[in-house]
Amino acid sequence: MTDRRSFLRGALAAGVGGVAAASVSGAAASEASARPLRGFHGAHQAGIEEAPLPRTTVVSFDVIARNRAELTDLMRTITDRARVLTAGGVPDGAGISGPPTDSGMLGPEVPGGNLLVTVGVGASLFDGRFGLAARRPDRLTAMPTFPNDALDPAWCHGDLSLQLSARDEDTVLHALRDIARHTRGAAQIRWRMDGFVSPPRPSGTPRNLLGFRDGTANPAPADLGKLVWTPDGGSFLVVRLIRMLVEFWDRIGISEQEQLIGRARDSGAPLDGDREFDEPKFAADPIGKVIPLTSHIRLANPRTPQTAGNRILRRGFNYDRGVDAAGDLDLGLIFTCYQRDIPSQFEAVQHRLKDEPLVDYIRPFGGGYFLVLPGVRDAKDYLGRALLS
Amino acid sequence: MRPWMPLVGVAALAAVAAAAVGGDRLLSSGHGSGPSGTVLEASIGRCGRGWSGPHAGPQTLLVRNSGSAIAEVMLVDRSGAVHGEIEGLGPGVTRPMRVTLGAGEYALRCSDDSSGDPRTGPLVRIAGGGPGGPAVRAVDGNELAGAVTSYWTKVTAGVGRLAGLTGTLRSAVASGDVGEARRAWLPAHLAYERLGAAYGTFGDFDDKINGRPDGLPGGVHDPDWTGFHRLEYGLWHGEGASSLGRVADRLDKDVRDLQADLPRQRIDPADLPLRAHEILEGTLRFELTGASDEGSGTSLQTAAANVEGTRLVLDALRPVLRDRYPALPQVDAWLDRLDAQLKGRSSLSDLSPPDRRRLNGTTGQALELLAPIAEIAAPRRTS
Repeated sequence: MTDRRSFLRGALAAGVGGVAAASVSGAAASEASARPLRGFHGAHQAGIEEAPLPRTTVVSFDVIARNRAELTDLMRTITDRARVLTAGGVPDGAGISGPPTDSGMLGPEVPGGNLLVTVGVGASLFDGRFGLAARRPDRLTAMPTFPNDALDPAWCHGDLSLQLSARDEDTVLHALRDIARHTRGAAQIRWRMDGFVSPPRPSGTPRNLLGFRDGTANPAPADLGKLVWTPDGGSFLVVRLIRMLVEFWDRIGISEQEQLIGRARDSGAPLDGDREFDEPKFAADPIGKVIPLTSHIRLANPRTPQTAGNRILRRGFNYDRGVDAAGDLDLGLIFTCYQRDIPSQFEAVQHRLKDEPLVDYIRPFGGGYFLVLPGVRDAKDYLGRALLS
Repeated sequence: MRPWMPLVGVAALAAVAAAAVGGDRLLSSGHGSGPSGTVLEASIGRCGRGWSGPHAGPQTLLVRNSGSAIAEVMLVDRSGAVHGEIEGLGPGVTRPMRVTLGAGEYALRCSDDSSGDPRTGPLVRIAGGGPGGPAVRAVDGNELAGAVTSYWTKVTAGVGRLAGLTGTLRSAVASGDVGEARRAWLPAHLAYERLGAAYGTFGDFDDKINGRPDGLPGGVHDPDWTGFHRLEYGLWHGEGASSLGRVADRLDKDVRDLQADLPRQRIDPADLPLRAHEILEGTLRFELTGASDEGSGTSLQTAAANVEGTRLVLDALRPVLRDRYPALPQVDAWLDRLDAQLKGRSSLSDLSPPDRRRLNGTTGQALELLAPIAEIAAPRRTS
């Protein structure tokens, strides 16, 4: 016992040292020295094909604008603020005409090239309020309730989605404050969840809070054209807020954990392989002796020609929001994924995952479906122009 | 116009968005954004000296107090409009002033505690460039005096009405009829909330008359908690007539003391412009969160009374603001929207989640539009 305790102390000390070292290198990799991210303008919005950044917030807004003209003003304003926040610069002085134009969170000069902004529209925007009913994209619906869901209406849906991502949390919050300040009379936050991406531990795809690497099997960049982008440069976004019952999870054996997922926890390799990016050979294991037929990776992506078109671009962010009423940590996953078509991609996957054994350890409670608008082409363009004009 | 602009409402936002066609640029590259630009002197004797290479566009001027007294510094144009201001610049201290200058003539204006009139430095001519600003003609104390007098006259009349209603409330509580007492509580409380007693207007009287139990060790059971909300708590929590009678007597006495004290109270003219947004800041913080509801379920009626209180301030300041604040009509329009959403409603629980978000957003937008008034109408030494 004494030995074990001293080992634990040693491990703890090493862990703390490791954190300190990581935060130093994290600081070194932070905004001051980092390469700028992409600019604001482009065929696609930022924040989809780019590698996920360590800090994010996913925000759902309801539009309170009274008519189409005010909605158009709102979209122009969001575009303008996103453009300015992405470009950076020194905010103008207000003189004696009002309070400061900027919160000052990022200092007197807002660093440019440090922010990814992704804006989408939900099906509810196409109700009667703005005369857009006839323009609802065919395949955009409200997110349905899936069999293993426990949805809380306060955490579901929304007229607009906004995701802000950056290397540092202050950059994310600065942008959110700025956009909210400029749009109060036209849109209000319906729900908001902050998330983070862990650094590779020790390498490879970042881990989620179940301890497993999450997002290993994403499509290659060359496949995004056929799997992710709509013809006009947009993409359908699914957000799922998934509580992870980590205390329960931590009380089950490693073999069971690995069979639920279908991968080794340490390496991320499929259970029939040695390395993270080894391709699982499901055909060689038809009855699931090595990788159970009900494991998450086998149901989600059976790797057959028939299911190749179901693949999605998966972007997971961990969340941490305190403690629940039973004293358990309220931790989980902001699951986001992008696709060309939700019914034949996310929903096809989700139907295969129905009643997977993993559902005992997770609780999907919120989220929504959104259409991420095409990118803003130039200084005259604005988000949703094709939809609104 | 440039992307970083103070918020001036939805219509203006569209203008800002349209004006942002300059695009993906850094906003002020190469225009003295760092602390290495020109240094202007700001002492009475050398006001505005050292402004070399004046140019148009967004820029940061560095202003150094080369004198020995604390200085107030403004950058003004030929029309007298103020483009930038530094208050309380200590001797030897250098501070940045962020401005955007267009074609025109500019001068630094310096004043300090020790002397009489401010000094205006040499006129500096700038040619070319886009429109400068924002710039606003400063308000002096004399201009505000009229606003303060008209405001205080209305407040005094309002306190008179309030005293009548707390007298009625006192009798109703004394009668022992809870229903009657509750019915008398609401108009008296709203009469007080209409006065817009935000952030110390009535000094200690506000705590006595309308305090919340926050900060009292005993919370809602603390013997030092008095006033409308204390009475509300008792009336809606089944408290007995005898103890409530004492609360109502005390409230009525405190209101009459306020009434008697009012002629002796002097409102600082500098406070009135602050009230333009502070009253509704309190509404957002205490009423729209439900924090101040002690059982009556009348938060939204209180909010409507606070809008009236805000209009009282706004109407008093209107002569001062009319030529200085282009968004003034939008302020009125958003207060109208707010009124329309509050009309006929009482409790927060009357609102569906979408209606509540609409109310929150409308209040927030009204506040963004009201906040500049505190800066624009603050009294300044003009000559």
